[in-house]
Amino acid sequence: MVTEKLMQYSFPASHKLPFFAFEYCEQYPENGWSVYEPIAELKRQGLPTESWRITRLNEQYELCETYPAVWAVPSAAADNDLRNVAAFRSRGRIPVLSWIHPESQATITRCAQPLVGVSGKRSRDDEAYIQHIMDANAQSHKIFIMDARPSVNAVANKAKGGGYESEDAYQNAEVQFLDIHNIHVMRESLRKLQEVCYPHIDNAHWLSNLEATHWLDHIRCVLSGALRIADKVESHKTSVVVHCSDGWDRTAQLTALSMLMLDGYYRTIPGFSVLLEKEWLSFGHKFAQRVGHGDDRHQDADRSPVFLQFVDCVWQILKQFPHAFQFTEDLLITLLDHLYSCLFGTFLYNSERERIEKEVKTKTVSLWSLILSNKGDFENPLYNPSTRHHVLFPRTSMRHLCLWDKYYCRWNPSMRQQEPVHIRYKELLHVKEQLEKHVDELRKELAARQTHDSPRVASAIV
Amino acid sequence: MNSHRRNHPSTRFTTYIEFEERPVDVPEEKIQPRLLPGEIMIAKANNVLKFAPLKANRTGISGTLFVTNFKVSFVTSLPLETKEKEMHSKSLQNHFLGVHDVCLSEVDMVNQFSEENTKKKRLLYNAQMPQRLSGLQLVLKSLRVINFSFKFTPTGEDIRVAQALLHHAFPTSIDHLFLSCGYPPPSPGIPDFCLAQDWERELQRTRCPNWRVSKHNEFFNLCASLPTVLVVPRDLLDAQLEQAAQHFQGTRPPVWCWGSPAGAALVRMAQISPSISDKQQENRMMGLVHRCHPRKLQPKIFDLDQILPSLKDLQISYIKLRELHTPDDPTQFWEQDRHYYSRLESSRWLSHVSKCLEVAQSAATAVLHHNSSVILQDSSGCDLSAVISSLVQLLLDPQARTIRGFHCLVQKEWVALGHPFTKRLGHVRSQVEEQSPVWLLFLDCVHQVGLQHHTALEFTSEYLVALWHAAHCSLHSSFMFNSVNTKHSASDVLQRENPQQPIYLRPVWSWWAEDHSMVETQQNGSTEEPLGDKASSREAFLNVHYIQQLFESLSRSGAVKRISDPLSSAYHTWQHIDCLLGEVRQLPYDPATPLVPLQLDGSLRLDFSQSNLRPWTACFCAWLSEPAMLTLHDSEAILKGASPASHHWLHIHNMYTSLKDLLSQSLTNGAAQ
Repeated sequence: MVTEKLMQYSFPASHKLPFFAFEYCEQYPENGWSVYEPIAELKRQGLPTESWRITRLNEQYELCETYPAVWAVPSAAADNDLRNVAAFRSRGRIPVLSWIHPESQATITRCAQPLVGVSGKRSRDDEAYIQHIMDANAQSHKIFIMDARPSVNAVANKAKGGGYESEDAYQNAEVQFLDIHNIHVMRESLRKLQEVCYPHIDNAHWLSNLEATHWLDHIRCVLSGALRIADKVESHKTSVVVHCSDGWDRTAQLTALSMLMLDGYYRTIPGFSVLLEKEWLSFGHKFAQRVGHGDDRHQDADRSPVFLQFVDCVWQILKQFPHAFQFTEDLLITLLDHLYSCLFGTFLYNSERERIEKEVKTKTVSLWSLILSNKGDFENPLYNPSTRHHVLFPRTSMRHLCLWDKYYCRWNPSMRQQEPVHIRYKELLHVKEQLEKHVDELRKELAARQTHDSPRVASAIV
Repeated sequence: MNSHRRNHPSTRFTTYIEFEERPVDVPEEKIQPRLLPGEIMIAKANNVLKFAPLKANRTGISGTLFVTNFKVSFVTSLPLETKEKEMHSKSLQNHFLGVHDVCLSEVDMVNQFSEENTKKKRLLYNAQMPQRLSGLQLVLKSLRVINFSFKFTPTGEDIRVAQALLHHAFPTSIDHLFLSCGYPPPSPGIPDFCLAQDWERELQRTRCPNWRVSKHNEFFNLCASLPTVLVVPRDLLDAQLEQAAQHFQGTRPPVWCWGSPAGAALVRMAQISPSISDKQQENRMMGLVHRCHPRKLQPKIFDLDQILPSLKDLQISYIKLRELHTPDDPTQFWEQDRHYYSRLESSRWLSHVSKCLEVAQSAATAVLHHNSSVILQDSSGCDLSAVISSLVQLLLDPQARTIRGFHCLVQKEWVALGHPFTKRLGHVRSQVEEQSPVWLLFLDCVHQVGLQHHTALEFTSEYLVALWHAAHCSLHSSFMFNSVNTKHSASDVLQRENPQQPIYLRPVWSWWAEDHSMVETQQNGSTEEPLGDKASSREAFLNVHYIQQLFESLSRSGAVKRISDPLSSAYHTWQHIDCLLGEVRQLPYDPATPLVPLQLDGSLRLDFSQSNLRPWTACFCAWLSEPAMLTLHDSEAILKGASPASHHWLHIHNMYTSLKDLLSQSLTNGAAQ
């Protein structure tokens, strides 16, 4: 009986029950659903400009059902052009603006793979469209297309009708492969990591076992891919188009991470929520499929820790730049806990369209309500707001990466947890406050005695 | 809305020259290295290019290379690199050595390399020198690699420099090492444990009963590797001591080095000489340790040769570590990096560290919980027993965790009790088979203790790195000799050879009080700007979280009020803080203050499982910057600005000044009455 109920409520989706998020009615002073307004974020980036416009062409999710309603696209491309490009991109996911450099106007745009296929099909519209993106940035006569996949995988995708841009067809474009493996490889890597970390740790082979999981190797790949994009945009003032196969897994990792490096706004608590809402949720990372909310099919091939991997990368950057983030790793851990908890509506379903259909915004609470209402718990006392104007270039060699033991090993009692520096910093501030209080009291006492000119007191301090 | 961007240092590389370009000639007479008193210039090569090996764009800086009897000096007018500047500011010798200087005793290997042929070839002091060298690669003991190219150097100068280097960097005997002379070093305020009073104070402080100081080794007649005074069981007569000593390796009798008030003693003992089959003396000494215990508890014996890695194992590990951290080029770096963790594991270094921590933990438990004496036995009584003995004290004795106490600990266990630094660190050319990085092993263990107990140690891991680097530089003599005895004779020899100049052996601990002006006065016409002030290196070496605790005790109610009462603990805490942060040139120590008796209340527990140890990348990768894959700017610079402790230091200094102001206010008030 208990088992039955447990199964039923553990896997509500498989038993046609609603998620608990729809029953949860906690009231929070802040409304997390209002943190992200697509137009406001584009305006923050300086849009519309001469070369970029905002379009609601996808308002009804007809052109691309996994994309958001609002896009920013090159002004030079007419609505009809967009439709033609959509026809040539996998699932209609056309190149859309993610981020624009406030000075050089170099951009990061994201999309899905072109439908090249074995016959090497071309689309004049798509080629022109990429040219428009390049032309929108006057600083450079070149554009990089970063294909997140290993080149073999990109080639193999041609057999399934996909592929990658040929440099012959796309004038002035250079295609680079970032060698990040697919969701299946990542899932396997995490499985191995779990075995290594829990329940028993083989101390004699700890490091080599860790290496054999390749988890850190994948982290390194994703990070250095994002670093390469940030470098092209920042140092070369060149625009970058990012895609993988469908443009909702590796692409989201890369654009979000490079934006985090380039733009200090995303390293604040509200900015980070905007980054996630925009690059991950609105652009259709399939949270429901990848996490398998409420689903009892463990072997589902669509499951993959893509988002976890992204959060791990954020943690690695945070660790290297402890002053550059307004939040601490506690925020990242809370995010991951509620990625699986189904307590909040934030990570439910696969796309913006599905969430609108299920009325998530009105029927559930946003995770950001919790976070913004308890901002103090997540704030990093070491944060230095002047780092907002810095671009972060993290080091990506293996020796500078480490296992996020506070997350992966937190349930293993044999792993020692270290007290984070920011907690000691809070204590320091407290000590300072106390000390200053005592010093002030004594000072006043001293001054008072001096004015009374009491001969008995040489000093208030014994 | 976000006014982004920093200014791009786009002109950054213009002062650096490409390998293909010819360097600009600087008028030669202007170029001179700074020489210390007694330092002599031996060879010089003009128009040399200096490269960091992992710079992918192959840019170097041009200058003149000098070899003296003390250092390799590269003189250039070009601006410094961030990394080198930072490392220099965190060195204990930075007042004597410039950023581009390398002390000769730091050189581990000299290789010949050429631009066309990537293969490098080791140059040996006793082998035939080639006709012409296109370049030299120095591999330093601090795991640093420097390349010099002679592409534009006048013929002949390259060979002369190389010959001078090979001859002087690998001296035949310790007497040929350059030791400083000319100006006495400031007193470090650290007992050197060569006087009876130092050991008597230690006996008093620990209140460990039934042991006495023997002066029987006055002329090193009993044992050459021990100081002239040693602490032995009270019941042991000097004659018996002498007899017993003969039975042990190196005629080294067992010595007391620390103890607890309850009577548990920490004793270091060599093995019985291999030529002696009779174990009677060994048993007798163990019996005496047993009898010294006030409750006559059986001592616990740790045969370290059996339970710890051998010196050879350590050396093999170290060579693997060295290979992993001195790649020749970016390709090799990235190739190694892919397998960094498994290679580190297969070096077995961390497993050695883990083993040492385990043994130290169990010895500490014996002392603390079973009140049992501990005998640490290793073959010569001066290697692994030093590691374990020091670690036990670090775990049990709160004083050993302060910066001054740590200095005392190292002075006692390593310097006075004769760890053979010359042999183990290869300061002279022979005895390759005797090299073993025991000292590094100990420092790494201390680093792990600091990691597991953030607030327990007064010093940082950066200080430990600096101590490792200091062990290779002959400027400070503490880590140069095999024993106190060899130190005395080396300084005698030097004094005889240089009768006109007084010879001073500078203990490493005097770095605290050394400063630039002191060096300046003894050099003529030096114009180099002082690099890195004392305060910043103190900040790097002092653990801000430890100091935070000191302030915490002052912030308790009423504590500040009692701060000038010499009988209160607040007074002592304040004095301590003032020594650490103030302009005082003394370490927080005043020989006149009464002894603080040892209290075993705050002992540390260690987790020695390997998954809880961290590779000491701050030491192993100290000189190894990640090769830039892209056109990124110097990301190191940003990282440096973001030192996690800088925020903490700001507040610590604030609190310090406000207390200081308060005190001066109360003083002037007092004076006004």
